Amino acid sequence: MKRLPIPEEERFAAASHSARVTSRIGLGLAITFTVCFLTGLVSHLIQHPPTWFFWPSRPIWLYRVTQGLHVVSGIASIPLLLAKLWSVYPKLFGRPLVRSVPHALERLSILVLSAATFFELTTGLFNVAQNYPWTFYFPQVHYAVAWVAIGSILVHVAVKLPVLRRALTREPAEAPVPPPAGLSRRGFLRTTWLTAGVSVVATAGATVPLLRNVSGLSWRTDHGTQGLPVNRTASAAGVRQAAQDSAWRLSVVTPAGARTFSLAELRALPQTTAELPIACVEGWSQSASWRGVAVPDLLRIVGAPPGSSIRVSSLERYGPYGVSVLPGEHTADALTLLALELNGEVLDLDHGFPCRVIAPNRPGVLQTKWVSKLEVL
Amino acid sequence: MRTARVLLILPGLAALTWGALLFGEYLFPLRADVLGTLGWLVGGPLVHDAVVAPVVGLAGLGLSRLVPSPWRAPMLAGTVISGVLGVLAFPLLWRAYGTPPMPGLHDGRPGVGLALTLAVVWTLVVLTGAVRAVLARHRTDKSHARPA
Repeated sequence: MKRLPIPEEERFAAASHSARVTSRIGLGLAITFTVCFLTGLVSHLIQHPPTWFFWPSRPIWLYRVTQGLHVVSGIASIPLLLAKLWSVYPKLFGRPLVRSVPHALERLSILVLSAATFFELTTGLFNVAQNYPWTFYFPQVHYAVAWVAIGSILVHVAVKLPVLRRALTREPAEAPVPPPAGLSRRGFLRTTWLTAGVSVVATAGATVPLLRNVSGLSWRTDHGTQGLPVNRTASAAGVRQAAQDSAWRLSVVTPAGARTFSLAELRALPQTTAELPIACVEGWSQSASWRGVAVPDLLRIVGAPPGSSIRVSSLERYGPYGVSVLPGEHTADALTLLALELNGEVLDLDHGFPCRVIAPNRPGVLQTKWVSKLEVL
Repeated sequence: MRTARVLLILPGLAALTWGALLFGEYLFPLRADVLGTLGWLVGGPLVHDAVVAPVVGLAGLGLSRLVPSPWRAPMLAGTVISGVLGVLAFPLLWRAYGTPPMPGLHDGRPGVGLALTLAVVWTLVVLTGAVRAVLARHRTDKSHARPA
């Protein structure tokens, strides 16, 4: 039987496999992954805040930037990871397979690193497409594996630090022999950076207004209801009937008692207009003009101090986003609205009619729609 | 160097441990669907090392040998960019497991978007290649014209 023609490590002669190339791309990847990890961590902490965590309500665009960066750095990491793996691909064929216990551990750690980074980038890419060909709950597993990915990157950089330093600080002793064919070292690096740049430009229109008409692969379009994308329609949330029921009342519960407001009563209260972005965890964002009752005003009307935390309940009974908590920082901000109008029109059913929360600097999933109850905590 | 390595390795191990614990929370008690998740985890390196990398390597080798020098770098870059754009477009084009309709999201034409982006990329590849070919010929003519 003929054996598979498995090449030896030394047969890979291309300039792309040099330590200098590996180190430079590795450095780029370390930067994009760190940005991706930190911004993802921020988003996780906002959605699941521990007691020590504080997230400001200003500047209004901060979450839009951090989550936009999360997705953009993730997209940029895809070509960087592929280039990095191509650069070190010959090492897969290094023999003996295992030289010593530390060598075995190093190889194992690289397998963990490679599995975790591939998993994060693949699942993240499918998630921005809101396409779920798996059975696990994406936020839970993506978050857990993110720690494994960043941990294995730190360990890998620590192990390779001498190689990295040598490759980045010293010029090669002799001029490199040009390879018989293919890209030079510089050519490979330029191609890598260029591919990362094109990937970002092709997708970042989902969040960067300047690239809106440039990004051919943006998942945000201009077909949104009232000029704004809808992440979950009233039909998908199963609230069409309840939201249009004339018996709908907003119930506001405080330690002193409960009050209810009809839609007409809410419209009769002082109204505030604010230009605020919706910034989604999937990386798209868009500004819109909102009008409604400022939450601090509403709190004063019911006799509760602005700055109190509020539990917001939706008519949506099922799913993880039917209830959210607005922290005191946001309920004290005059731009946090119980919105009744969007872009000069009555709020569409798909945008949360009769009323929804819109607060500055918050993830879209926490901007609860079809609000039925506010409880002062 | 030693301090830097320790400063990297300690938080690295801590993050790895924390990630393993969080993943363990998901993993246990073991059930059938967990196997699929493990498949997604090991699938990346397996598919890359056994399929993607060899195909890319052979394609690169083929292009490098077939395409003349001034055209080689732009053609290789164009091919790499096209491949990555294909990867980015894949979950937008194949949405068999997509969410219910979301007005303003995923209701565009990613196929057309991909085709237009590729058209721009390959126009630039052809322009760059042509300029490089002209410059290379110019250089050759000059060196031939130089008196011995």
